[in-house]
Amino acid sequence: MKKYWQVFQISLQQELYYRASFIMDRARSITIVIAFYAFWTALFSDRATLLGFSKSQMLTYVLGMNILRALIFSDKTWEMLREINMGRLSYYLIRPISYIRYCLCRDMADKCMHLVSSVLEVSFALLILNIPFYVPRDFLTVLTFLTASAFAMLLYFLMTYAVGALAFWTAESMGPRFCFELFLEFAAGAFFPLDVLPRSLKTAFELLPFSSLLYFPLNIFLERLDPEALLRGFAIQIFWIGIFFYFTRAIWNKGLQAYCAEGG
Amino acid sequence: MAFLMQFGNRWSSLGWLGGKMIRFIFFFIFLSAIFRHVPSVANYSLAEVALFFLTFNLVDIGAQIFFRGLYMIGRDIREGDMDFYLIQPVHPLFRISSNLVDFLDFLTLIPVTALIFYMLPKVMGNLSSVEILWRGFLYLLLCVNGVLIAFSIHVLIASITVRTQQMETTIWLYRDISSLGRFPVDVYSNLFQAFLTFVVPIAVMVSYPSKAVLGFLSLEQIFFSFIVSGALLIFSQFTWKSALKKYCSVSS
Repeated sequence: MKKYWQVFQISLQQELYYRASFIMDRARSITIVIAFYAFWTALFSDRATLLGFSKSQMLTYVLGMNILRALIFSDKTWEMLREINMGRLSYYLIRPISYIRYCLCRDMADKCMHLVSSVLEVSFALLILNIPFYVPRDFLTVLTFLTASAFAMLLYFLMTYAVGALAFWTAESMGPRFCFELFLEFAAGAFFPLDVLPRSLKTAFELLPFSSLLYFPLNIFLERLDPEALLRGFAIQIFWIGIFFYFTRAIWNKGLQAYCAEGG
Repeated sequence: MAFLMQFGNRWSSLGWLGGKMIRFIFFFIFLSAIFRHVPSVANYSLAEVALFFLTFNLVDIGAQIFFRGLYMIGRDIREGDMDFYLIQPVHPLFRISSNLVDFLDFLTLIPVTALIFYMLPKVMGNLSSVEILWRGFLYLLLCVNGVLIAFSIHVLIASITVRTQQMETTIWLYRDISSLGRFPVDVYSNLFQAFLTFVVPIAVMVSYPSKAVLGFLSLEQIFFSFIVSGALLIFSQFTWKSALKKYCSVSS
């Protein structure tokens, strides 16, 4: 366990060392928040509710989006693609270390940095802009939200790990990964709540694993789900975690058999 | 060469293209869907907001096609390629910019242009033919002006990179700020609008062309937009030349 703690610490130090990249990453998230905050504020200028959201719920969704993006979507799987394609994966395979745990620790360090930064950004925005923030009435809501977020992190890790395994078969996995990431972000509700979409599209997206990542936890926080919807949401999350757990393991094992350490 | 490289890596190129199309389609669905619930956004109709969004894409893609190579300048400096470009009998800015021409963006430009042609008659309504021609001409001119502003900003960032041998990530900051132009700048607060007009002229770059078509742009603002692009162009060229004078090879 100690070696993984070291990986976590080194990764954290690396994040702190490459500050410019980190700041640019944050700048990206902040501009998304600014754009959607302004957009929704303009929409709520002459109405109290829209799409079943009150103004405070919608603006909390936008701010929560920033925090959950940092917590769930921060990852280092792009590095995994490079490591496989350039043969650097061999360094890990010959060492007494589990690559998946190594990646997990690296991801956690990234998530920690981004989470702290996003919480500070949101707190700053709340103070400066005097945004009406929706606070859950029940403490149990917060616990349920945290549980759903933890499941979302696990699901996202398994999904990106599966997509990353594409690199075992092709050196051209960067493009498909980019495509997957963009689809995932939109389908997860990382730009806007899925309630905006036509009903049929929304229903389809709710059954896919993506909405479990962001839209579902945020709806829990905003107390917009009845007990039935809550149970259904958790069932969908657990179902997809199960599917991806086996799928990712299978594809990774197949990939390792196909791996020939090109360039390593 | 850039063309061959992109079409040699078919799967990767398809992925990048797919991602760009997904982003474009989802934003378009978002805008269309939102107008099923509200009649206007910042007093703009669906067709008008769509025009702002499409114009942002037109200018942004235009800049992406021709100035992609400038994104790689940091790597070119570190790996010594910059020295090689400087001794070639071609303008270094042109050489670096054309290093990577993103042909995939030509493909994304097709639906954007088609939709602009579809939207323009909708927003111009019952104007006289002369007025339509004038506004169309102004739109085109201001879009070219927007690409020029984008070029100047790219050159400014490239100059900073040459001077510092880092800071290339600043280009991503610019990209993020420019993405605020997806929506009409009128949705932002007055202070932020001023920032997007006078500090980082994204509003001039991507919002002014649409405003010209809608007839919301005064003559002073039209002149102002050309002054901004002219001044930025001169300043960026001056900064580039001054950066080159200070350039010292780092790795060849």
